[in-house]
Amino acid sequence: MSVYGSSPLNKCWAIRLLALLLFSANGLSASQLDQLDGALQVHGFLTQAYVKTTENSFFGDSQDGSWDFRELGINSSYRFTPSTMASIQLLSRRAGEMYDGSLDLDYAQLDSTIYTADANRVGIIVGRYKNPFGLYNDTRDVAATRPGIFMPQAIYWDRVRNMVLSNDGAQLFGDLQVDEHRFSIRLIGGKTPIDENVEKSYLNPLLDPEMEQDGLTLGGRLLYEWDGGRFNLAYSSAQLTLDAETSLLPDGEVEIDYRVLSAQYNSGRWSLTLEYMQEPLNYSGFGGLMDAGDTTLDGYYLQGTYRLRDDLELFARYEESHYDKQDKRGEKTAQRLGLEAHNFYSRVSTLGLLWEVTEGLIVRSEFSQVDGTIFLSNLENPPPQMRSRNWNLFSLLVSYSF
Amino acid sequence: MTTNYRAFAVGLLLCLSGSANSVDLVINRDIDYESLSRNTLRSIFSMRMTQWPNGKPIRVFVMGDKTSQHADFSKHVLGVFPHQLRRAWNRQIFSGMGQAPMKVNTEAEMLEQIENTPGAIGYLSEDNINERVRKLSVE
Repeated sequence: MSVYGSSPLNKCWAIRLLALLLFSANGLSASQLDQLDGALQVHGFLTQAYVKTTENSFFGDSQDGSWDFRELGINSSYRFTPSTMASIQLLSRRAGEMYDGSLDLDYAQLDSTIYTADANRVGIIVGRYKNPFGLYNDTRDVAATRPGIFMPQAIYWDRVRNMVLSNDGAQLFGDLQVDEHRFSIRLIGGKTPIDENVEKSYLNPLLDPEMEQDGLTLGGRLLYEWDGGRFNLAYSSAQLTLDAETSLLPDGEVEIDYRVLSAQYNSGRWSLTLEYMQEPLNYSGFGGLMDAGDTTLDGYYLQGTYRLRDDLELFARYEESHYDKQDKRGEKTAQRLGLEAHNFYSRVSTLGLLWEVTEGLIVRSEFSQVDGTIFLSNLENPPPQMRSRNWNLFSLLVSYSF
Repeated sequence: MTTNYRAFAVGLLLCLSGSANSVDLVINRDIDYESLSRNTLRSIFSMRMTQWPNGKPIRVFVMGDKTSQHADFSKHVLGVFPHQLRRAWNRQIFSGMGQAPMKVNTEAEMLEQIENTPGAIGYLSEDNINERVRKLSVE
């Protein structure tokens, strides 16, 4: 017997882990190790992708074909009592020039259920936790759980991923089940790790911006699930303020508000997902032109998934992102800033295939046609004037999780 | 695929008419229940409910995703597909919010674990159920 797709931790976990990676977790029997009844568990994932674009760079030097998209994660959890659990995950993520693959503490949290009755519960999480935004943010780096090779950029930007990824602080949670209806609430408060991706996305990279968070990130998610997840509806929100220093302008601050509305219908073989994001940005203290640049970004995607066979899934997705929700074609912003309009929107159509080869092993392949460059990272692309409006994206991914 | 649809439809009909499924819910004999609601079962098998009302830990046992027993149980008792259950587990495991169920490879192993693990819950084919475990009905 083994913990599902894994094996309980024992003294020499590295050897166990290696054994798990070498042999299919499916066939691994670890009864002699199972002294803890599954209370102590180890899981992980390995993902490698190949990305090819006709123009522009996305997740590496993709015009020449990039192998610089790789994710490795390992976690352990221990349930002390039915209502208390500690869990930790280490993550190495290489994503072109955006993330260098260094080992990060993805989460390290203590989860305590204060009250429980059947499926109802109230509790608190302290430590570094993943933010419960939208339907996918808290497992966005796990290929087996996200809706495609890349997260829909309209909602889950990779160029500012760390800003929404996790917090250091506390989270309150509550679940209420009434017949077929389940209501979940999560309230978060904490410090957000800010990195270069964030600094150089919210301010011009040429200004050498450096940012520090002022106060705490506050937010949460309300989720309604009907009939065991047949229908899901969620509203997520978070606010944070960043103090910024630049090489040219007076010190100022950027106020960011992030809101996501999510709806999903799942039948046995098909599912339909719609998520809409709005992100008001408020600049102040930098002086004239910058302070006048307040905007509300928005974006949405619609994805339909159909399961052709027990192990094969096909999906189609359309997404749109706008730098200014009042200016969907980017023309006004382009005029104001003296750049081409395609820098301020993206429209993406994607077709994708998922093959679940064995339990834990998946292969994905996707093709996207893109109009616009808004979600391209400043860290891996030339200045906006040199980016191409129309481009195609092909990607292939293999991932193993246990 | 047509066969799958037919099997699914037949299964659903059986389920709705209250007849026995090909696999049944079983629990360790120390748990004093005669039946559980489908909503409660979904919370248990999606690993979101971690303790019995008496405070003892719930130990969930399942067979491989591709086994006929697991497919039967998922579709006809819980009303979800195995891949949906797998995704629910992955979301819990990789966000730090929950743990995975314990996996057994055979029904003999399932029987042994349900019998010997306090708080255990799982499923078995009708033919393999005996007095060593408690069979439960689904409300």
